[in-house]
Amino acid sequence: MNYILHLLVYFNIYVIVAMSLNLVVGYCGLLTLAHAGFYAIGGYTYAILAINFGWEFIPAALAGAAVAAMLSLFVSVSAWRLKGDYFVMVTLAAQALIFSLLYNWTSPGEPLGSLKNLTNGPFGITGIPRPVLFGWRVATPAAFAIFSTVIAAACLFVLWRLKTSPWARLLLSMREDELAARGLGKNTRLAKVQAFAIASGLAAIAGALYAAHVRYLDPSSASLDESILMLSMVLVGGLGNFRGPALGAAILILLPEVLRFLHLPDAQAANLRLLIYGLLLVVMVHVRPQGLAGEYRIQ
Amino acid sequence: MQILANGFVQGLVIALLAIGFNTVFLPTKVFFVAQAGLYALSPFLALQLLRWDVPWWLAFTLPVVISAGLAGLMETLNHRPLQRREASTGVHLIASLGLYIAIVQIVAMIWGNETQVLRRGIDQVFRPGDIILTRSQVIAAAVSAILMIAYIFWLRRTNLGLQFRALADNPIQLALFGYNTDRLRMCAFMVAGGITACASLVTAYDIGFDPHGGLHAVLLAIVAVIIGGRGTFVAPMLGGILLGLLRAQVVWHWSARWQEAATFALLAFFLLFRPHGILGRKMRLEAE
Repeated sequence: MNYILHLLVYFNIYVIVAMSLNLVVGYCGLLTLAHAGFYAIGGYTYAILAINFGWEFIPAALAGAAVAAMLSLFVSVSAWRLKGDYFVMVTLAAQALIFSLLYNWTSPGEPLGSLKNLTNGPFGITGIPRPVLFGWRVATPAAFAIFSTVIAAACLFVLWRLKTSPWARLLLSMREDELAARGLGKNTRLAKVQAFAIASGLAAIAGALYAAHVRYLDPSSASLDESILMLSMVLVGGLGNFRGPALGAAILILLPEVLRFLHLPDAQAANLRLLIYGLLLVVMVHVRPQGLAGEYRIQ
Repeated sequence: MQILANGFVQGLVIALLAIGFNTVFLPTKVFFVAQAGLYALSPFLALQLLRWDVPWWLAFTLPVVISAGLAGLMETLNHRPLQRREASTGVHLIASLGLYIAIVQIVAMIWGNETQVLRRGIDQVFRPGDIILTRSQVIAAAVSAILMIAYIFWLRRTNLGLQFRALADNPIQLALFGYNTDRLRMCAFMVAGGITACASLVTAYDIGFDPHGGLHAVLLAIVAVIIGGRGTFVAPMLGGILLGLLRAQVVWHWSARWQEAATFALLAFFLLFRPHGILGRKMRLEAE
């Protein structure tokens, strides 16, 4: 039972991530590899605020979202000028810089969270407290599953409201023809900044949820592999609508669990999982470039 | 001086890899990330051949041939069909990334995730002047320099090289003149595959290798291409050598752990403020 609850929590976390990434990749048409960086920033902000200052979940997660949204300016301002492969390179640079900061902002002997040892480097942060909600501590797996579902539902509600708003139509028109959108007097630069800030903030909330669930965090959650996994979710599931990313998150979370029952040695299983992700990407761009349930083909 | 020498040797290898990347990127506009998979694969092939007691010269040339063949296969099965459907560069990038992941995982499943070495014992040391170079560093520098000179010669002096530069300049026009652009593209991929394997083997001989180092090496090469300038085949060499020198300086002045941060900060700086690179002609990226 706890196993199913654990899967449910994972699904909730990655559904937020995939949906928020869809906002950038599917609605703006900008391929980004920096998403795992913002996800990890949310986790780290939550962990440090909860351990050092005893913050509750919601203010700490919102603080993480704010930090991630601020840092997303680096990526979104680059998107003003760069397109295609060059933009992907900038997001890759952003991801590498965030990973490098999380990995290196440490010095032995200093207390965790101080200015000299903010992240504890490669050893990661252990003993992250369970989330506290208005004085109530979410302790049991069942309670955490409900809690994560509520948070995910809140995030999806925000995204759904955005999707049905005129602002989403602006993003779509920008994706199809940016010059035309500008010609109609729309501020596409501001729209890009907003889309990236919202997507990064939501990813940071998912990261905080992950930190509170696993209670351990290390820089590998900002790694390129993690970014590629997130990108695979939206590309396999489908871009540009609501069903696609949810489907992709479900498939890519359940797939390794199926492999678990094949009784492979642990090291082989991890490799086989990534091998399948890689082949899925290749097969998808050939056979069904818009994803299983998507509406938009990546440009 | 020692730091400059180390940086220069590292830079030469980065430059070689950068040329391999640009050989595909300039004519075909494909971001060949799967090159990183070939980079990871070739030293393992060499290791396996050495274990089978194949003579060493064959063990080091056969992976180059296999790598070139695989690169050709990727073009035939992956990039050419996508190109026929006029897929965008983003699609090529994703497909190539998928291939990279698949190759690396297959390598890891066959040979394991551990770091391996191609040579045993302590390396022989040369002392020209007041610097110290190991034998493997000398081999790496010599192989890179010879291959680069041969590459430039091939590009400038032979007919195939001329067709190649024409393909980079305007593929449609070249096809209208009756040249087989598909064959030239294939040639580009195979040359890139071969060069990648060479760069990978000399690095592996010097410092060892593991299945996951490929993407990092190719990213360095891409950074070298961007800071050197993408417009020409030669500029990436300059970018690679500069990058190698800079990375060695970072190790000396701060710490090895800030190498990556410095590299990618440099990349971001160039992309934002000088996207055409050091030697490139000034043009707006939006136009592409």
